[in-house]
Amino acid sequence: MAPAVKIRVCDLNFHYRNRQVLHDVNLTIPSGSITAITGPSGSGKSTLLLALNRLWEEIDGCRVRGRVEIELDGRLQEIHSPALPARYVRRKVGLVFQQPNPLPMSIFRNIAFPLQLAGVRDRKLLAQQVETALRKVRLWQELHNRLEDDGRSLSGGQQQRLCIARALVLQPEVLLLDEPTSSLDPETGQAIEELLLNLKNEMTLIVVSHYQDQVQRIADLRFTVREGRFTRLPAGRPRSRTGPAL
Amino acid sequence: MTGQRKITEITVTWFCWLSGLLLLAALVILVGYLIRRGGPVLGLSLLFGDTPPLDALLLRKHVFDGLYPALAGTLLLIIGAMVLAIPLGIASGIYMAEYAGGRTKAVFSLLFDILAGIPSIVVGLAGLSITIFLHRIFGERIMPCLLISCLALAYLVLPYLIRTTQVALESIDPVVRRTAPALGASRLQNIGRVLLPHSLPAIIGGIILATGRCAEDTAVIMLTGAVASAGIPRSLLDQYEALPFYIYYISAQYTSPDELATGFGAALLLLLLCSALLVLALVLQRRLTIFLLYR
Repeated sequence: MAPAVKIRVCDLNFHYRNRQVLHDVNLTIPSGSITAITGPSGSGKSTLLLALNRLWEEIDGCRVRGRVEIELDGRLQEIHSPALPARYVRRKVGLVFQQPNPLPMSIFRNIAFPLQLAGVRDRKLLAQQVETALRKVRLWQELHNRLEDDGRSLSGGQQQRLCIARALVLQPEVLLLDEPTSSLDPETGQAIEELLLNLKNEMTLIVVSHYQDQVQRIADLRFTVREGRFTRLPAGRPRSRTGPAL
Repeated sequence: MTGQRKITEITVTWFCWLSGLLLLAALVILVGYLIRRGGPVLGLSLLFGDTPPLDALLLRKHVFDGLYPALAGTLLLIIGAMVLAIPLGIASGIYMAEYAGGRTKAVFSLLFDILAGIPSIVVGLAGLSITIFLHRIFGERIMPCLLISCLALAYLVLPYLIRTTQVALESIDPVVRRTAPALGASRLQNIGRVLLPHSLPAIIGGIILATGRCAEDTAVIMLTGAVASAGIPRSLLDQYEALPFYIYYISAQYTSPDELATGFGAALLLLLLCSALLVLALVLQRRLTIFLLYR
């Protein structure tokens, strides 16, 4: 049986001011997969991610035409529907930026922040969720006794994993990652790849990447973008769940 | 060519050095002169005259020959003006940076620039006109007073607060700006929990600038309620004394070297008051940043 459709993009056009960034994009992404998007800089890779969780609405001069349907809470929903609040979509469709962007807060507060935004006040529940998220990204061992340190005092790799943990704490159904390993050394990059393969069982992932070999290693589905037009490539040979158990 | 470029480079470097040095020298000379002339009179008797300090502080006795009423007047003036101006200024700055757009923003920008360019004597005259207008409507109770001065001064410093808040918010890194919305924050949550705490140092900078302006302004207060002798104001509708007005008054009308020395003492006192407020603002900035971001 074919896996259920998680994301369906139909005739998506994206304009930034007078420039058309995406042209008639059509994609279908199955549930529980890793999709990789490659292409030259400025071709529209990151823009697609912004269109998938409505973050483009925060940027002046953006316009979107077309349909983006994502299965959220068991139902395929048009994410731009006026009935759906942007906050709901963004909580369900997490986004990890290319540059690690911890806020100037403690490590604990950085990860608890999205939960607090959603109105969670219970300290015990917060602590529990923060621990789970940190364990998922394998930072718990390293950081459990310095949770009050400033999030920005961590190394680049730790910061990126912290940001992934922050996105995971909301238990999103889809996780978008914009070149998550580009600013990291190869070893840390590999740790993050392992992490993504592990996360595949819980959510659908879309990764923008520059590295062809990385894409070959982890992606179930591959797309390349050139001047805003998407082309599907033959799939790589992704490993299934590898790496040490959590 | 290379030689010429080298000479230019050395000249520019020297010029920059000298400019900095000149400024520093001016500051040292100014403060030094103030301390030399005003320093000897600085003391409790400058503040309280013959009145016992405790009685004066507890408002049990009037101070007739000291600067305590003027110091208190200036302090009350600053507090009143800032209480009025800070919320308005910051809210307007937030509106300009986060909500206004297109033509509205352009028009408001122009209006705020005009507001910033209004000379303080004109603001003082406007305050006086409003007082006269209110006097006609409400009768004897409304006279030039502390409240009118606070309102006029708040109006005078609003542009500083609006502009610093707006510029601070607008210059936040786009990545930081989008971080909280990507995590499901509403616009208001983003402003309150990320953008404002991030801009706090710059906003406090604006508040310091505005406080200084309130402390030194003479043109506005002499038209709206400051007088040479009034004691400590008992209510917002009372007239009051203020240090800059005292300095202005003494420098124009002193009758003895002792009085002139008191004028210098008042100048030194005003400088100390401003320095103390600056330190307070910096401590507050640190505490507030920690509270807002790390609590």
